[in-house]
Amino acid sequence: MTSDDQKSIWMEEYVRGSASAETVAKLEEALREEPDFREPFLEYLNVDLALSLEAAFTPKKEDAPLSIQRRYRVKSLTITSIAAVLALLLIGTWWFTNHESPTFATVTNRVGAGELEPGTNLGEERVDLSRGILEIKSARGAHIVVEAPAAFQFESDQQLRLFYGKVAANVPESAHGFSVLTSTGKAIDLGTEFGVDVPQDGGDAEIHVFEGEVIAQAQNGNRKNILGGEAFSLHKENGGERELRSAAFVLPDEFALLHVDGAEQLRSKSDAVLTTLRSDPALIRLLDFESEADLPEGQYRIVQGRWPGLRAPEFVETGDHIKLDVGGNRDLPQLTLAAWIRLDRLGAPYQSLLHTDGWDQSNPGQVHWMVTHHTTMRLALSGNTLAAGSSETQGYPDSITPVLPDKGRWVHLATVYDSDKRTVRFYINGEFDSESRQDVAHPARLGPSEIGNWDLRDRKLSGRIDELILLARIMSDTELRELYEAGNPYR
Amino acid sequence: MTSIEETSNDHFLRLFTTTEPALRGFVRSLVPTTTDADDVLQEVAITLWKKYSEFAGDSEEDFRRWAFGVAKFKALSWRRDQGRDQHVFSDDMTNLLAEDSESNLGKLAAQRTALKVCLDKLSPEQKSLVEVAYAPGAKIEQIAQSLGRTAMALYKQLHRIRNSLVECTRTEIRKEDW
Repeated sequence: MTSDDQKSIWMEEYVRGSASAETVAKLEEALREEPDFREPFLEYLNVDLALSLEAAFTPKKEDAPLSIQRRYRVKSLTITSIAAVLALLLIGTWWFTNHESPTFATVTNRVGAGELEPGTNLGEERVDLSRGILEIKSARGAHIVVEAPAAFQFESDQQLRLFYGKVAANVPESAHGFSVLTSTGKAIDLGTEFGVDVPQDGGDAEIHVFEGEVIAQAQNGNRKNILGGEAFSLHKENGGERELRSAAFVLPDEFALLHVDGAEQLRSKSDAVLTTLRSDPALIRLLDFESEADLPEGQYRIVQGRWPGLRAPEFVETGDHIKLDVGGNRDLPQLTLAAWIRLDRLGAPYQSLLHTDGWDQSNPGQVHWMVTHHTTMRLALSGNTLAAGSSETQGYPDSITPVLPDKGRWVHLATVYDSDKRTVRFYINGEFDSESRQDVAHPARLGPSEIGNWDLRDRKLSGRIDELILLARIMSDTELRELYEAGNPYR
Repeated sequence: MTSIEETSNDHFLRLFTTTEPALRGFVRSLVPTTTDADDVLQEVAITLWKKYSEFAGDSEEDFRRWAFGVAKFKALSWRRDQGRDQHVFSDDMTNLLAEDSESNLGKLAAQRTALKVCLDKLSPEQKSLVEVAYAPGAKIEQIAQSLGRTAMALYKQLHRIRNSLVECTRTEIRKEDW
């Protein structure tokens, strides 16, 4: 913590335009490290602005009488109090690193900033993880991935207590019997890959089994075997079946693909591309879910985005959705839709990406964008028809390459509509997939819409969506490739 | 000039005039000095005007989003254009401040309104110093010389005035909450 007086001095120099490089760097560090300082800083700049506006409208007085007070004090922290704080910090670190405790597991890797460094040995202490994703290897060889926010504690090398958060484990033979304990029951591994999700608000724990077999044991001793592809909710009394949500967990093999270093670098690369898009006059809406004030209305929960520190909405229940009202009552001759998505599974009849309200032939050009259970991406516009000889069998423009939920990994989807050329182009992970030709091609129309659902009949989007872009122009192959590369969380 | 163009001009002017105070506040939060903010705002206004025919939104809120997008872009390129002598924040910090500033729009607008009340609470001497120092084109060194003071002393006093005004606006805004 920098003293308020020190920050105040830096602020004054900054606003005067005469701060040295060193001062600007220190001020920036203080603003980054102490989020509470940012509001007073913005207030100060704002007052400076308001004063200049006032003065600009005040008639100038010549030789205004002034008497300037000379007296001012600059307070400073005494050297002794700084030394005392430093000494306390050093003693704390020394105690922590030298305190004897059994080692049940070791942090092997980390994505994003976080509380624990790789190489940290974990004993019986409780760990509260507020940022990042950790990869942990138990002494018996179980691979465990913990995603923040989470709180957990190893009780032995074979038992992990999860207070809240998401844990995924890949358990080799040497660690068979590894269990995750929650307040409502436990999951005992029988040689598998599985995940446990304990909501922070105290809801029921869920066990999701991706491969092999797990025993779910409720608090009253009731047991149930859960096989790969199944999920189970642990109530206090007994339990109930759930739909498997593979996208809700970062599994050990996905962790290995994430960029371990430079999450911040990736973010600034992505920010640069998004900043350019935000200044594009053709931009209808860009939703990145990062700013609390800019979160759209709807029914969803905010979870971790494509990398630690980023956020994304998650849709779990049928009917979860985001409400939008964009594009007004206008004809859009060209339209690009793009988003990162992370699907739990394929859903019948489809996973809704963006559905304008209704589906009315009297309002031609209405946009419906989805992933069908035939694993294709579809862009349907009301009143449009496919060109004669099209290969699509369902009557709507569909992509060719399957959009698989692939164990809930992030995938980038984009589609470009041009009513003048009468084409729909599909892109998956920045690669051009296919072009569909239309016979009748109305200009696109948006207006009141839902993401993740359709207002006429509940449709489900099961998973997460991020960085949704609606642009009233064509994006080129190169632009879409760049958009994908800038936002790709995998190496 | 056709009547359609006039309508579009009117439309632009209405949107721009409505957005201008918030936009100015937003730009101010991204650059060091008020003069820098004026330079960037000018660039922003030119771009908005030139590209208005391509503007895809239709509401005031759509326009505000776009204007803020252009402003952030211009502020980032402005800071890259600064020579080594002008010391500015990194792109990351500029992004962070833009985010905070955008989510505090209402609060900052309320603060600018509250400032009018607070200015009346300044002593006559403080008021005159503010008027002179903030007048367009004012040079603190010259003002200091004419007063027989050092420039540093004036900077410090202006700093104290701004701090007391920040305090005062906080109190004023809290009063309105009751």
